[in-house]
Amino acid sequence: MWNSDLLHSWARIIGGAVVLAGVISLVLAPLIGGSVFSSLWEIEPLSYIGAVLVIVGLAAIVLSYVGPRLLGLKAPEAEEESGGMEQWSQVTQQYFDLFHHDLGRPLRRILGRERESRAILQSSGVAIETPIKELLDEIEKQTPNFRLMMSNIQVLVQLEAPNTSVKLQALEPSEMVRRIVDRYFPIAAESQKEITWWSEPSEFGIVYSDGSAIEHIVANLVDNATRFTNTHIEIKLTKNPTHFFIRVWDDGPGIAPHYIQHIFDRGWTPEFTRGDEKSSSGLGLFIARSLARRYGGELTVESVTEPDPNHHTAFLLSLPSGEPE
Amino acid sequence: MVPMSDSRGQGKILIVDDEWESPIVVAVRRKLESEGWRTLAVEPEAPWLLADEFETEALYAIEEEQPDGVLLDVRFGEHKDDRFKGLGILRKITERYPKLPVLMFTQYAQGPDRETAVRGSLKWDAPVDFIDKLASPEEVVLRLRRLIGNTPQVISIGSLIKLDIGAKLVYVEVDDESTMVNEIQGMKFEILRELATTWYRSPGELVPFSKLERYSEGEDARASLRVRIREIKDSLGAVLDMRFGAGDFIINVRDQGYRLVPLKV
Repeated sequence: MWNSDLLHSWARIIGGAVVLAGVISLVLAPLIGGSVFSSLWEIEPLSYIGAVLVIVGLAAIVLSYVGPRLLGLKAPEAEEESGGMEQWSQVTQQYFDLFHHDLGRPLRRILGRERESRAILQSSGVAIETPIKELLDEIEKQTPNFRLMMSNIQVLVQLEAPNTSVKLQALEPSEMVRRIVDRYFPIAAESQKEITWWSEPSEFGIVYSDGSAIEHIVANLVDNATRFTNTHIEIKLTKNPTHFFIRVWDDGPGIAPHYIQHIFDRGWTPEFTRGDEKSSSGLGLFIARSLARRYGGELTVESVTEPDPNHHTAFLLSLPSGEPE
Repeated sequence: MVPMSDSRGQGKILIVDDEWESPIVVAVRRKLESEGWRTLAVEPEAPWLLADEFETEALYAIEEEQPDGVLLDVRFGEHKDDRFKGLGILRKITERYPKLPVLMFTQYAQGPDRETAVRGSLKWDAPVDFIDKLASPEEVVLRLRRLIGNTPQVISIGSLIKLDIGAKLVYVEVDDESTMVNEIQGMKFEILRELATTWYRSPGELVPFSKLERYSEGEDARASLRVRIREIKDSLGAVLDMRFGAGDFIINVRDQGYRLVPLKV
């Protein structure tokens, strides 16, 4: 097995020594060449030897840089660079985990206290005053935003890390949709919105993909739908022989054509007026599409806007079923 | 080991978390209890119990109490060695009790890579799942229901309607009294049971026509199904003195199937 690092070092040392020997020969040639050797074409042979040594030595040094690439080996600098980037990525992930945990701690405490207070107030039988109820509801409402934002940032760190490989595993898309609906059903119900989902065929079976990544994409789509729908959201799971599809439909007001071209842009948020308090980071759809493409799929959108009575928005995620060969 | 209240026959959940008294864990316990589960927490006698001792206590509690499921925290304490201690405890549990369902409580989003790695280290059919500690108690309960897989003897659909699965009877609660709905029997009971069990495990999931049409007769199975569903609604409405519309209790979704929606009181 060739060790490109070792090859590189030795080629430079030997090449350098040969160049040095050539230079010494060229320097000595006028002094001793003529007296020791007979001239050839009026130049002493030591000059020839010196020139050849310099050329061979320089060639060895140049080859030490170019050779490994020609032989299909990585140049040591590239290896160092990629190793460094990988290490950087791991360190970033570790910092992010700590950061996420530490940011989550105060929210867990607030959320725990809020749930405790709500339980005490409910068991007391006293009607909860509107401002207090609104405060308790707001804490619950902001928690899913926090969860999704943190996990968006975490996925973004992973997406931008170098050399991250795509890992496929067997997964049941219907179970994955169930998990997302578990998460958003109570949130939607709070504001009298309904979520319905089904799969065709009803026994959907297994696909080969990255479950966590798909769950992340669909969570972002359902999160958006929960915010903008008027009354209900429908999630439909279908497939053909090569791909499977998840369609997230909502009966919200729709997205105007001049906005729709920007919705997958990084940092774009759907709050249309500057005075609105922003409720999203604008990362969700950008990450969702990036993840879909990373796994060989696509995320598209179609929307019909008000005043059309059929106004709605539908996102379609298509991904290869990825049956291993 | 401190039980919070008596069992109502749903089963027993063991909670293994160094923050077993924190309000966020207590809220989950409260929700589980209200759903009829019995909850137990590994509660050390010494407050300075180390993460390793938690592991011993948890394994002892599983052997003694034989819970139906375990809710296990990933993180035990702030020391860097204890950051993923729960995964070590999980490994021991799955080695000794490979069929015991375990729901892992994470204190932050796991991140795709780590969760994939943990899943990869388990047997493919290991009943292990992960949930963020910030999840609502409703989400935790739904996940546990599916992980454990038991269907209770009695399913309460909202506060007004109850299905006794074993006895194949439907009850309606009116003025704190249970009234049996005699008209919902045979095929009609089976249709309602199918809708109720799906709703119990996965609210929002539609029951496709293909599953429900086996409980209808005649050449036009779908029309027959529609009639039976109308009859179920009318029978319940008669006892409750209500008229059920198309969007109440059992709704038809875009020619795909039916879904149950509890009555709003």
